[in-house]
Amino acid sequence: MAALRSFSARADIEAILAARDAERIDVPVLQPAEPFLDTAGEELRRRIFLTQGQNGRAMCLRPEFTIPVCLQHIESKEASGRYGYVGTAFRQRDVGASEFLQAGIEDIGNADTNAADARSLADALACVSDLGIKPEQCDVLIGDQAVFDQVLAALGLPSGWRLRLAHAFGHDATLEATLERLAQPITMPQLPDPILQAVKEEDTAKLEELISTAMDEASLTNAGGRSASEIAKRLQAKFVQSQLVPEEAKLDILRKFLSISVPLDQSVDVLRAFEKDNMIDLAPAIAVFEERNKSCIAAGLDLGSITYNASFGRRLDYYTGLVYELRSLSGDVLVGGGRYDRLLPLLGAAKATPGVGFSIWLDRIVEASA
Amino acid sequence: MITLGLPSKGRLKENAIEYLSAIGLNVLPPADPRSYRAKIEGRDDIEIAYLSASEIAREVAAGNVEAGVTGEDLVRENIPDSYNAMKLLAKLGFGGADVIVAVPDSWFDVHSMADLGEVAAGFRALHGRRLRIATKYWQLTQQFFSNQHGIQLYRIIESLGATEGAPAAGQADIIVDITSTGSTLRANALRVLDDGVILASEACLFAGKASAENPIIIELAQKLSERR
Repeated sequence: MAALRSFSARADIEAILAARDAERIDVPVLQPAEPFLDTAGEELRRRIFLTQGQNGRAMCLRPEFTIPVCLQHIESKEASGRYGYVGTAFRQRDVGASEFLQAGIEDIGNADTNAADARSLADALACVSDLGIKPEQCDVLIGDQAVFDQVLAALGLPSGWRLRLAHAFGHDATLEATLERLAQPITMPQLPDPILQAVKEEDTAKLEELISTAMDEASLTNAGGRSASEIAKRLQAKFVQSQLVPEEAKLDILRKFLSISVPLDQSVDVLRAFEKDNMIDLAPAIAVFEERNKSCIAAGLDLGSITYNASFGRRLDYYTGLVYELRSLSGDVLVGGGRYDRLLPLLGAAKATPGVGFSIWLDRIVEASA
Repeated sequence: MITLGLPSKGRLKENAIEYLSAIGLNVLPPADPRSYRAKIEGRDDIEIAYLSASEIAREVAAGNVEAGVTGEDLVRENIPDSYNAMKLLAKLGFGGADVIVAVPDSWFDVHSMADLGEVAAGFRALHGRRLRIATKYWQLTQQFFSNQHGIQLYRIIESLGATEGAPAAGQADIIVDITSTGSTLRANALRVLDDGVILASEACLFAGKASAENPIIIELAQKLSERR
């Protein structure tokens, strides 16, 4: 690891990134904390190194690079860019040092998303190969957030269920717990009689009026939070669900989907078979998947050596499609990457801006290649 | 010789002294009433240090005083890894209050943490921002939401007082706060979720890890437990 911190080793990495046609980008070590907490959630707070600027603004040592690179891209007002970075990131982890060297490429604003996905994956593989990792020293795993979303939509699950499942996607234990909970029948909570009456009579106007009155009494009407119609809608949906038997069959189909794990060159056939067996329509997601596979072949990737795992995802709501990891044979993540089309708008980009990128854990590369 | 930290003011102080006297330990008022040190009648091996309740948690954890009486909420919130760093020797049955998750009463569709998780997951799509929680209990909130209920999509808004007013003031959507009777919650049209009790707190005798085996503290813990 010490060797990587030397100037010459960094220069090597810079050369490797430049060879992938990525423009060198430097981001400040000290970053405003707000964008990280806002995108990743409060869980990140105990992991980042927080401090306060003189004006009281919360600042932190950069816990990763994607967000600072995106912010800098937005500021540049460029339509697109391919950025290569190398530097120290700071995050407290359960195991391992709290500061670590990372390098990566973020490809922002490229509208040909399939080609950009394939290129990102190919770049990641090429970089680790240049850093001395042989193909047989790592496994490549991909997942796809969009396919999962499409399965949820195609199953016609209630919107509340879909929200919960989508939020749990990417964490097997949470997802399983959610599935188990959804298999339980829903009971309606204790409600004031007029409210329950309005729900039962499907009298939306009356229901909203009653909720509005309650909000008025609590001075919540102009507090900028949830609206009466939002609450009414969810309450009505909940009532409809409570009248239904839990849809175990649908949850079983979902479990079957999540257990799919195949080499990428068989993935489209397997997904089509799954679609047919369970009589659901996944055509749009599979079409994108197939196109991307073609782009991957065009980018020189060997699909047979990449595993598609249907349950692989990230619990961050700005990832939208492809997610991937390169793992050492002992299971350490060497590279994490993915498509984050929701991130740039969240960070303040004026218009929809797609993005895909990866980050290499350089200290783990040193261990894995040893 | 040990030092026992007691709350320096209020009902917590009175209750603690009353409790000690019930097990035969009479706290003698200090010669100078402004002093923060006191003795126990006939027990030269115990010294009393009056400290603020949150200081007691910190000082016991740091080993500066061997044991102390304070609210469990303060220990769990302020002491990292408190279940290992400190030992809860006796629950004293006073100073009871719950750390709870409360939502506006008019959220008729939200009664459980699962409901709240669903609302939190869809919040940004509807409102362009995360669900906000007003609280002074950062640690307890994070543990409860993230670890126990797998809810990550929210922001904490620090609130050091009058937390119950935060939703009406538009500062936050829901709150995590301490309540004993629930009357302030009701007055502010807030309702505790069915599974929204994060911690049922009360005054407890805590010892530092290094002091838990001290015979004087063991004796104290035994007597206090029996009294209850």
